[in-house]
Amino acid sequence: MNNIKNQELWLNILDIIAILLWSLLLFKYWFTQELNLLIHPNYFILVLVSSVILFLLSIAKIIQLFIYHKKNFNQNNSGNNQHSNLLPKGWASSLLTFVAILGLTIKPMVLSSQTAMQRGVIDSLPPTTLETQSFLNQTSPEKRSLIEWVRTLNAYPEPDTYTGQKANITGFVVHLDQLPDNYIYLSRFVLTCCAVDAYPVGILVELPKSRSNFPADSWLEIQGVMKTATLPHLDSSPQTERKDKRHLVLKATDVKIIPTPNNPYAY
Amino acid sequence: MTQIYSAFTIFTSLLVEAMPFLLIGVLLSSSLIFFMDESTLITKLPKNPFLGAIIGSIFGFFFPVCECGNVPVARRFVLKGLPTSVAVSFLLAAPTVNPIVLWSTYVAFHGQPHIVWLRMLFSLTIAITIGCIFSFQSDPRPLLKPILAKRLTLLMELNETEKIPIQETKVPEYSLLQSGSFILGSEGKTIKMDDNLLKNSEGKNQTISGWQKWNLFINNVQIELRELGGVLILGSAIAASIQVFVPREIILNLGQGTITSIIAMMILAVVVSICSTVDSFFVLSFASTFTTGSLIAFLVFGPMIDIKGIGLMLSIFKPRMILYLTAIAAQLTFIFTLSYSYFF
Repeated sequence: MNNIKNQELWLNILDIIAILLWSLLLFKYWFTQELNLLIHPNYFILVLVSSVILFLLSIAKIIQLFIYHKKNFNQNNSGNNQHSNLLPKGWASSLLTFVAILGLTIKPMVLSSQTAMQRGVIDSLPPTTLETQSFLNQTSPEKRSLIEWVRTLNAYPEPDTYTGQKANITGFVVHLDQLPDNYIYLSRFVLTCCAVDAYPVGILVELPKSRSNFPADSWLEIQGVMKTATLPHLDSSPQTERKDKRHLVLKATDVKIIPTPNNPYAY
Repeated sequence: MTQIYSAFTIFTSLLVEAMPFLLIGVLLSSSLIFFMDESTLITKLPKNPFLGAIIGSIFGFFFPVCECGNVPVARRFVLKGLPTSVAVSFLLAAPTVNPIVLWSTYVAFHGQPHIVWLRMLFSLTIAITIGCIFSFQSDPRPLLKPILAKRLTLLMELNETEKIPIQETKVPEYSLLQSGSFILGSEGKTIKMDDNLLKNSEGKNQTISGWQKWNLFINNVQIELRELGGVLILGSAIAASIQVFVPREIILNLGQGTITSIIAMMILAVVVSICSTVDSFFVLSFASTFTTGSLIAFLVFGPMIDIKGIGLMLSIFKPRMILYLTAIAAQLTFIFTLSYSYFF
């Protein structure tokens, strides 16, 4: 009987640890701004509130356990039998604890060019949360961010419209094999909900020298002038025709290597 | 190595995104402890299976939870003796037909409001249809997990012996070590958590104090959070590794034609397991490459069935039941969205 009570106590303590660690983990993500790498800012507040609720829950549980333990009540709580047999006793909380510790120790990574290639680099913008508004066109070209450029281009796809316009954009480098050696795809991920649906968008950049000077995933701030060029299709899926296509290209005049921004995604 | 790292990042992002919604669901489901008239509400439900299914499917408006949150609520309903038809239609419709999800879908597709309406219409129709189908099974126990079936048997016995005074010692008779949450009643007796709820609502037992209710609430939150959280972790791990290790193109390349795009989107919905409150933003990324019909298929089918949700549903139903649900829901979604694509 005592053994069972002890086991219950340990299971309870393990649960409390799991809940507390998750509260800590969510708080850490919020506090260190690492949430930027995981989810859309709209949901930040939810994460913070959850962290507080989990914290309060673990406090309530500790108080409850303490009171029962002190009064030596026979507080039986073997409820996991009734609730789920999917995971053996103690596994669920161990799993939660384990993942929370992993999350606390490993920093989430900034999605890389590899992910971009895997998710498919395409010519046009997949429509994202913000529909292109025509007034975007009124922002002066050199003030447009990369995303705004892609959105504008999506609304008015004729590349020639933009020839000669100045641009100043930042993004990370993606090397595409089908492009000539002095071309890169300067990309950013657009996040609509979380890292699961981060979608790469980007603009082709003509560099003054070979792209080998700028390894994939390095972040660049590029100033230059827009032009058009006939280049192969970016989309490497087998169904696309292998015909060349006219693209809007940024002819770089000034290329600066910058550190990875704290908030690498666009929304 | 980078692959594993990015899989881990996607995995945590899914978890961090879903955890608040899971928490909301668990808190809501556990707070039903405070609403003692649940069982009377259940007895007042119309006996007609069709009406029952309709009511079940609009419960979602009062329990605005996504598919990570509706399972604990549904399980609690089943434990309280809700007919299977109502529970099933709640389970299928609640993640879609609730104010939060409809609002987020509208935000995402405000250019195409018909997607919002069709999503609601199709989900309701499918949920009610499946609810009606399962109402033919008058005894739900063969479909439930054995442990839930056992609880339900107790409940039925309780209903049958409604007129006869209930023996307090009935439950402890057959086993010393029982499963379930217990609280300490008066006179040093232990009371099984759900028994107490049921009897109490019928005024057959001593009332439990607010403090005890609070204890029950905390215990229930703890248990559900632990179990459902554990399953959520497994589901997210599977979803993240499929997303990273299987090239998205393989799934997407299926999606060019009318039929294949619908099938591809339904598979994607199952694989990605994204929460229904946010899935409309996700599917928006495919709006240019996929047919409208297939987008609706994603939005209708995803909240009903996905890898993560199947994991959670296993805590209520037997695998066979989930297979039935999946097959019928998939076929209906396919037929509805295909006819939409065909006629419009």
